Amino acid sequence: MALLTRALSARAGPSWRRAARASPGFQLPLLEPAAVTRALSRAMACRQEPQPQGPPPAAGAVASYDYLVIGGGSGGLASARRAAELGARAAVVESHKLGGTCVSTAVCSVRGRRFVSAFRSTACARSYGFPSCEGKFNWRVIKEKRDAYVSRLNTIYQNNLTKSHIEIIRGHAAFTSDPKPTIEVSGKKYTAPHILIATGGVPSIPHESQIPGASLGITSDGFFQLEELPSRSVIVGAGYIAVEIAGILSALGSKTSLMIRHDKVKEVKKTSSGLEVSMVTAVPGSLPVMTMIPDVDCLLWAIGRDPNSKGLSLDKLGIQTDDKGHIIVDEFQNTNVKGIYAVGDVCGKALLTPVAIAAGRKLAHRLFEHKEDSKLDYNNIPTVVFSHPPIGTVGLTEDEAIHKYGEENVKIYSTSFTPMYHAVTKRKTKCVMKMVCANKEEK
Amino acid sequence: MAAMAVALRGLGGRFRWRTQAVAGGVRGAARGAAAAQLGRKVAVVDYVEPSPQGTRWGLGGTCVNVGCIPKKLMHQAALLGGLIQDAPHYGWEVAQPVPHDWRKMAEAVQNHVKSLNWGHRVQLQDRKVKYFNIKASFVDEHTVCGVAKGGKEILLSADHIIIATGGRPRYPTHIEGALEYGITSDDIFWLKESPGKTLVVGASYVALECAGFLTGIGLDTTVMIRSIPLRGFDQQMSSMVIEHMASHGTQFLRGCAPSRVRRLPDGHLQVTWEDCTTGKEDTGTFDTVLWAIGRVPDTRSLNLEKAGVDTSPDTQKILVDSREGTSVPHIYAIGDVVEGRPELTPTAIMAGRLLVQRLFGGSSDLMDYDNVPTTVFTPLEYGCVGLSEEEAVARHGQEHVEVYHAHYKPLEFTVAGRDASQCYVKMVCLREPPQLVLGLHFLGPNAGEVTQGFALGIKCGASYAQVMRTVGIHPTCSEEVVKLRISKRSGLDPTVTGCG
Repeated sequence: MALLTRALSARAGPSWRRAARASPGFQLPLLEPAAVTRALSRAMACRQEPQPQGPPPAAGAVASYDYLVIGGGSGGLASARRAAELGARAAVVESHKLGGTCVSTAVCSVRGRRFVSAFRSTACARSYGFPSCEGKFNWRVIKEKRDAYVSRLNTIYQNNLTKSHIEIIRGHAAFTSDPKPTIEVSGKKYTAPHILIATGGVPSIPHESQIPGASLGITSDGFFQLEELPSRSVIVGAGYIAVEIAGILSALGSKTSLMIRHDKVKEVKKTSSGLEVSMVTAVPGSLPVMTMIPDVDCLLWAIGRDPNSKGLSLDKLGIQTDDKGHIIVDEFQNTNVKGIYAVGDVCGKALLTPVAIAAGRKLAHRLFEHKEDSKLDYNNIPTVVFSHPPIGTVGLTEDEAIHKYGEENVKIYSTSFTPMYHAVTKRKTKCVMKMVCANKEEK
Repeated sequence: MAAMAVALRGLGGRFRWRTQAVAGGVRGAARGAAAAQLGRKVAVVDYVEPSPQGTRWGLGGTCVNVGCIPKKLMHQAALLGGLIQDAPHYGWEVAQPVPHDWRKMAEAVQNHVKSLNWGHRVQLQDRKVKYFNIKASFVDEHTVCGVAKGGKEILLSADHIIIATGGRPRYPTHIEGALEYGITSDDIFWLKESPGKTLVVGASYVALECAGFLTGIGLDTTVMIRSIPLRGFDQQMSSMVIEHMASHGTQFLRGCAPSRVRRLPDGHLQVTWEDCTTGKEDTGTFDTVLWAIGRVPDTRSLNLEKAGVDTSPDTQKILVDSREGTSVPHIYAIGDVVEGRPELTPTAIMAGRLLVQRLFGGSSDLMDYDNVPTTVFTPLEYGCVGLSEEEAVARHGQEHVEVYHAHYKPLEFTVAGRDASQCYVKMVCLREPPQLVLGLHFLGPNAGEVTQGFALGIKCGASYAQVMRTVGIHPTCSEEVVKLRISKRSGLDPTVTGCG
């Protein structure tokens, strides 16, 4: 993509360069088509990456597929591959690494859990008869391993696509104003009777205007790039990402604070010894006070995720989104525009890899195997928060059940015990289980 | 003394009843307490005959004292050894190798078991179940007698009697030196000193689990198997269990049977065995010989014939009907002592509870022994529920059975570079839609935790179609079950690549 910018700049005046730098994606300003395509052809010729199968379409032509998938993450890849298996000629557009959030940046990756499991083990090992087991932690080792593993996965995904004869289009896609739904990637146009949006999401960060200095913090994307274990961490957020990251850092030896209301953070300042995070805190029963945590070397915002839908030019086709930018779909993953679908985090419902994969596959079966009723059932999706100890959950929460069935019709069975693993260790954790049942049959 | 008594040898009883449970094992205690809760006058009679090596233990039965509980703790100790080896890959600067201290582990395990013994005693007391620590035997069909400490004879009579005396390890008494020099699972968990270089004779899950954790804590361990491993379990899975153990340090002597054990002047044990195929004899020197060749029911000293209770002529186990009733109307039997029942703690407990509910709670629910899940806690654990592949084929015919399978690699094995060759899962289904699931077999870490949930599904009659509609939890090993797509019949490579 760097090559492309240079090619354009060479042909255009200063205004071009400014435009190219400013836009996050690759939105080409209006210019005579010939100039654009000439620049692009030159850029394409310079590219080192191997070209996909088949002759490149002639300049100016619109490449046509059976299935176009925007986004090469969990949902997009699964859908494209299943469609290809069912005989569709498919292409996936991806501007970053194949595999998406789950593989590259997800908290639930190798790093998180196994670190701490290994940690827990060395700590408990003494009680099980390993007296000389002392462990100091070296962050770099795991970072290198993790990076290597993720890199391997990226390659595996690429190979999987190639094996399935799915074209990989590198770049950022945006819809055009053409009569038939069409996308444009790096100046080239592509169309298909079925287009899937599976662009996922990005972590949100508060605006500088809301919280001055917010940009001094990182997100879960940045967490996996940390080179050292932070000595003082502040994690802002209350969802599973915040809880998981805080748990990992704390267990590995970082002094960690978890801040549950991000609107109580007032300001972040940079000093010579680290960040200063100022916030309003309130002990129940007392008046709120301003507190400040000094010397923070890792401030991490885990306050939610925003759908990655802004750069798609959805308005060109009038694809409806909610006020946060999530693409609105029905139970069959249809958007309001015929032939355009969406799955995964960009829809904002059940933000989980297996859900995106399952929905993507069901969609492929519906479109290319004509299984008209093929859709994902979003009820009773199991999930786990990899906190310490972890929480596994499926079905309704107690509150949801009471709301749905009425308190008098809900019966709760519960148990609490110390797992036998801790029978011989000094450190103990509890295991708690709750089964929420409804009505006479105690479903 | 005409006291109403319930003798239960087993885990703490939560049932009270006007019955006498002979043997206070897990089941026994459970039943005792249950009956007591229903307002009955209950007694438990429990006695542990010391092992030939002199090991004895308290209330709770095999599971608590010389089975499941200490086994799992020692298995955990062995697993920790493996995790400690993995730790440097995750950035932990742990000096390797880390030695293991048997004494420290044994003390911790034994203390935990003792706390459980105590817990059971307290439970019985709380439920007002009378506890007699005497060796009981039948006088007639309503009366049991035993000799207490001090020589006093106690007679107990009851309206209902439950026999739950369990079983004990079998000794190959025909092998010279077996009884004098060998130990069994009754002894291994109570050893104060490390067993050292050990020969485990047997192919049962007891043999493999013991050999597994001994290897895991660093001891030189050999397993001698006469014919096939884990008889009764799916044989494909059983072979893989052994393969894993063999590639991780356990030595195997296949097709061999021991003929003699003698003690050498330096205290070591010399074992002589014969290779069953070649007939060739060989010897080896060990610190410990552990017999794990099966278990026998604890019925011999009960004088069952005085009560008229029938046993199987082959196994000496007590014969019962679907209501756990013996040949005598008011005498029942549950657990390991019963013919044709799984030798598992949870089935014994559940059978006991249901029995009490039927006798005193007005229920008519019978125990269902189908689709009982279980796990073999070998170094790579094997969890299963339902039919083995061979059982399914025998019952339904090859053409009516579809087996879906996958070789997967647990995420946790990647960074540490662990060998996942035997990490495998297969689902045996009927071929006709909706493809009812007949059996599930999982080989991998935390197999018990993985299998438990699916057992519910199979109990509810899950089909392959329903399993495929279940969304997986990511990243786990468990999700590999709901991702099974490749059938054995297709001949395609069942190796999982990538994230779904």
